Amino acid sequence: MADAVPDRNARVAALLARVALSDQQAFAELYRQTSPHLYAVALRILREPAAAEEILQEAYVNVWHHAGTYVAARSQPLTWLTAIVRNRCLDQLRRREVDTVTMSAEGDDEPAFDLPSGDPSPADLLLEGADAQSVRDCVDALDAGPKQAIALAFFQGLSHAELAAHMQEPLGTVKSWVRRGLERLKRCLDGAGFAR
Amino acid sequence: MDLARPDRQERLERLAAEYALGTLPGRVRARLARVARSEPRVAAAIEAWETRLAVLAAAVPGVAPSPRVWERIVSRLRLSAGIPAAPAAAPWWERLAFWKTLTATAFAVALALGIALLAQRPEPAQPLVAVLAGADGKPALIASARRSEPFLLVKAVGAAPVAPGKALELWMLPQGQPPRSLGVLPAGEVVRVPLAGPSDTALANIPALAVSLEPTGGSPTGLPTGPVLYSGRIERMY
Repeated sequence: MADAVPDRNARVAALLARVALSDQQAFAELYRQTSPHLYAVALRILREPAAAEEILQEAYVNVWHHAGTYVAARSQPLTWLTAIVRNRCLDQLRRREVDTVTMSAEGDDEPAFDLPSGDPSPADLLLEGADAQSVRDCVDALDAGPKQAIALAFFQGLSHAELAAHMQEPLGTVKSWVRRGLERLKRCLDGAGFAR
Repeated sequence: MDLARPDRQERLERLAAEYALGTLPGRVRARLARVARSEPRVAAAIEAWETRLAVLAAAVPGVAPSPRVWERIVSRLRLSAGIPAAPAAAPWWERLAFWKTLTATAFAVALALGIALLAQRPEPAQPLVAVLAGADGKPALIASARRSEPFLLVKAVGAAPVAPGKALELWMLPQGQPPRSLGVLPAGEVVRVPLAGPSDTALANIPALAVSLEPTGGSPTGLPTGPVLYSGRIERMY
């Protein structure tokens, strides 16, 4: 990866502070530095370029208007930006679900979508993302089922029902994997000093 | 339900975690988001989880959005013209997929091919070898060195001809840092590329090499500007 997350956070925080003062150059630079990452996050969840572009556009318009509310409140700008994009994507996905009753039969034996070849799988990303050794240890400590379920949910936006279909496991099993996996991750991360 | 009550902490914690992860069903999700707007305790629980999980999001390799996204943002916000336009994709050397591909294929290729080819030389095999292959996986160049020698020997084994006005530039790829140029490759079947010192120190901490297509004379920016044509991991047999 390009550089350490703390460095990027500091750079992005400085840009956001200038964006809060309506600095257009800073906004363009913020877009240049963060849009490939945010677009990739959206694309993995929504799986449609047009929908991901739409979310990205909304998110940056939102950032332009609300950069000021960020600056005072939070210390992790990349987290803030990523959360804006992920939440908008997830809101849209979950709204779509209301209209579709169940997944089609072929959804059971096929992945939800094909990643471009050479792209890391969700499980790979889960480990790669854990760049600090303590985080890596925490992710590593998860059992295979919970690890896979959390990776698919996080990187591809799969719901409980979709996870169950994708992993060919009962819904209850998948739900408890997610719940136990998250609890364990929290205990481990917080214990390792990754609390806020 | 009053989620902000202390005795509901455990349930709040679980809901916040699943909200941040994204697995909550739509209605529960929308309700929790509404509650979070008026209950700081709920908002804080969600944010704590977003922070925990954000460490993971950092791994997603960047994908450049279409330039029209930036154009639309500019037009919607009525920003003044002349803003530096949309960004390029994350450079290839920063992409995770690039490194994963290298790791997956390069070692086998190097061992199977590089060493066999080098073994045909009369002198003892060079202990430092990188097989630079194109996107199709076919070896194009083989770089090798002895530990104590201050140069790389680069042998063309399948590189495509270079168009007039263009040149091949060789790069060291320190992981987590921008590439460092080793200079333009001269024409020739076997060429010598000088290093800053003996290869085992000059290339220490350099996991891979790459070749990009540049204007004659090399990249004007000090970083690769053209497409990366060939790349390969350095294998050290010492």
